[in-house]
Amino acid sequence: MKNLPLLRLKPGTPALSAVLAALLFSLAAAGPAAAPTRYNAQVPGTSVKIDGTSTTHDWEMEGKMIGGYIEFDSGVKLDAAQTTLPGLNHGRVPARVHSLIPVTSMHAKVEHLPEVMDHLMQEALKADRFSYIEYNLTEMTFKGPHEPGQPFVFDTTGNLAIAGVTNKVSFPASIAVLEGGLIKVSAAVPLKMTAFKVDPPAPNIGLGLMRCGDGVKIIIDWTLKGRSPGH
Amino acid sequence: MAMMGGVELCPAETNQASAGGEAPLTKIPIGPTVKYGVIGLGARGREVLKDLALLPNAPVTAICDNYAPSLRRAGNSDAPKAERFDDYQQLLASKEVQAVVIATPTPVHREMALAALKAGKHVYCEAPLANSIEDAKAIAAAARDAIKVIFQPGLQERSHPQRRFLLPFIRAGAIGETVMARAQSHRNNSWVSASSNPEHEKALNWRLRQQTSTGLMGEAGIHQIDAVSWFLKARPAAITGFGSLLRWKDGRDVDDTVQGIFEYPDGIRLIYDATLCNSFDKDYEMYYGTQSAVMVRDAKAWLFKEVGAEQLGWEVYARKDVFYTETGIALVANATKQAAIGTAATEGNATPFTPLYYALEAFTANVGKLDQTVNNIVAMFGDDAQSMKDGLKDFKPDAPAANWRDGLDATVLAIAANDAVVGRKKIIVEKELFDL
Repeated sequence: MKNLPLLRLKPGTPALSAVLAALLFSLAAAGPAAAPTRYNAQVPGTSVKIDGTSTTHDWEMEGKMIGGYIEFDSGVKLDAAQTTLPGLNHGRVPARVHSLIPVTSMHAKVEHLPEVMDHLMQEALKADRFSYIEYNLTEMTFKGPHEPGQPFVFDTTGNLAIAGVTNKVSFPASIAVLEGGLIKVSAAVPLKMTAFKVDPPAPNIGLGLMRCGDGVKIIIDWTLKGRSPGH
Repeated sequence: MAMMGGVELCPAETNQASAGGEAPLTKIPIGPTVKYGVIGLGARGREVLKDLALLPNAPVTAICDNYAPSLRRAGNSDAPKAERFDDYQQLLASKEVQAVVIATPTPVHREMALAALKAGKHVYCEAPLANSIEDAKAIAAAARDAIKVIFQPGLQERSHPQRRFLLPFIRAGAIGETVMARAQSHRNNSWVSASSNPEHEKALNWRLRQQTSTGLMGEAGIHQIDAVSWFLKARPAAITGFGSLLRWKDGRDVDDTVQGIFEYPDGIRLIYDATLCNSFDKDYEMYYGTQSAVMVRDAKAWLFKEVGAEQLGWEVYARKDVFYTETGIALVANATKQAAIGTAATEGNATPFTPLYYALEAFTANVGKLDQTVNNIVAMFGDDAQSMKDGLKDFKPDAPAANWRDGLDATVLAIAANDAVVGRKKIIVEKELFDL
């Protein structure tokens, strides 16, 4: 029983069945566990940008789609008027975040030949095999105090998967509480393409070879709509 | 003559600096594969099949014609892997078809386009869209409302790199104040299609009857009339038409020679003529401005500067070109390359494909992008109407191409011009004709 210390019974303790019964009774007396608060991704009000550099000029790609959700334990209440955030667990926010960005939803913001950049980016990110940029939160820490009326600020850590390679990333993020049960998550995530085994594109277009820089920044504004518990 | 010679205005197809400081043009890279069905396998339908065969991401999975020999011939020679249908409704039911090209006689465009849009297929519909404004509006309205599919009318010049290159050049005032335009389409061709089957021959020659055809103005002139309206960014307020049947008196009731005067705003007029009786000088358009004139023909264009016209800067590097008695300076985007291989400015072609090819290439690219976007929306937010509306609100096709509005406008003008020709009269083109 070395591996199960919590279940080791000492002489004189009540029978296991009695302990379980007591436990079940106490849970029943406490009532049903409160449902978490879930926010689902919305199309309007969402944007994702990738800022990059190259040997000739800076470049930018933009999309309007981030799918997924954010889920907080029931004790966490995002009240823009308050200076604190209730429901924390030793300063950490009990939350789950899953987000998806379709690679093909990202488009180059250039006047001429945007489809060329789109094609290069999709090729570099192996979009035919890995359709999404995917993120899952592992840790979220509240950076208080919260200034009423302003977004809540957090430090986050999570797993980011790009082109089939997953890395742990940490970055600050903010959550603004909007009208109509909406929240907006904003963050800027600096990355190196090579960390995800993505070769910076080097297209031979225009007047010669252009080589993209390794460093990029992903900037997101992600709008989600809250779903009432029980719905 | 005040002309100082022709300055060739030509886009660079690949990796070449272009005249006037424009950014170089590069071919659209391979995008998602789009599976095609082609409806109507007459001469035009076979041209469509040949150009689609040049696109690496546009397999033709289905073809359709209700005339068995046409279906067999196209299937055997141009689309051997395609499933064959003699009923377009069956083709539209095929899950192996994402996009259809409607290359049938104009009178049946409406029923086919509406059925294809209803079936969720992307539609490339040859121009004119219809022979009546009512039919054209019905197609345009359905296309406007079908937000999950691309609808592209067959105004192929709108996708041609040469035209795209010229558009900002002319609109920016490089020819000075535009004073008039002229365009022609000259053929020595009866327009008759022969068949061993008399009944089929009658069907084939639908263009020769007023009941089923908008004549030369509609079936030939629509592309050039649309191009002028596009370049001038205006619609004519009135059209005066003339027509005669001078040579091909074989029982047809459409004219073989027509002229039209199109009155655009600010006193600018387009003088257009088309004939099947003489092929001299074939097809071209001229734009006349206070500083210079531009001639557009085939896949090329030339600038003819007036004496004393302002220097544009880049033309000093131009090579010389000769037009009849005029010798001047010709600018060619890839002049160095052409000089090196000894070709004249009037030879060679920087845009070697047909206008139809470029239009289909653009259509394929735009269909691919829209399908990707729709699939992303469905995968992440569901297929409900609101999510689709929100997700597609900012969708923009990358490849330049005509849309339903362009198709409606051009068709209305073609019908109005034909009405003017048939009536031998001036007609007012009411703004309401374009309303939808």
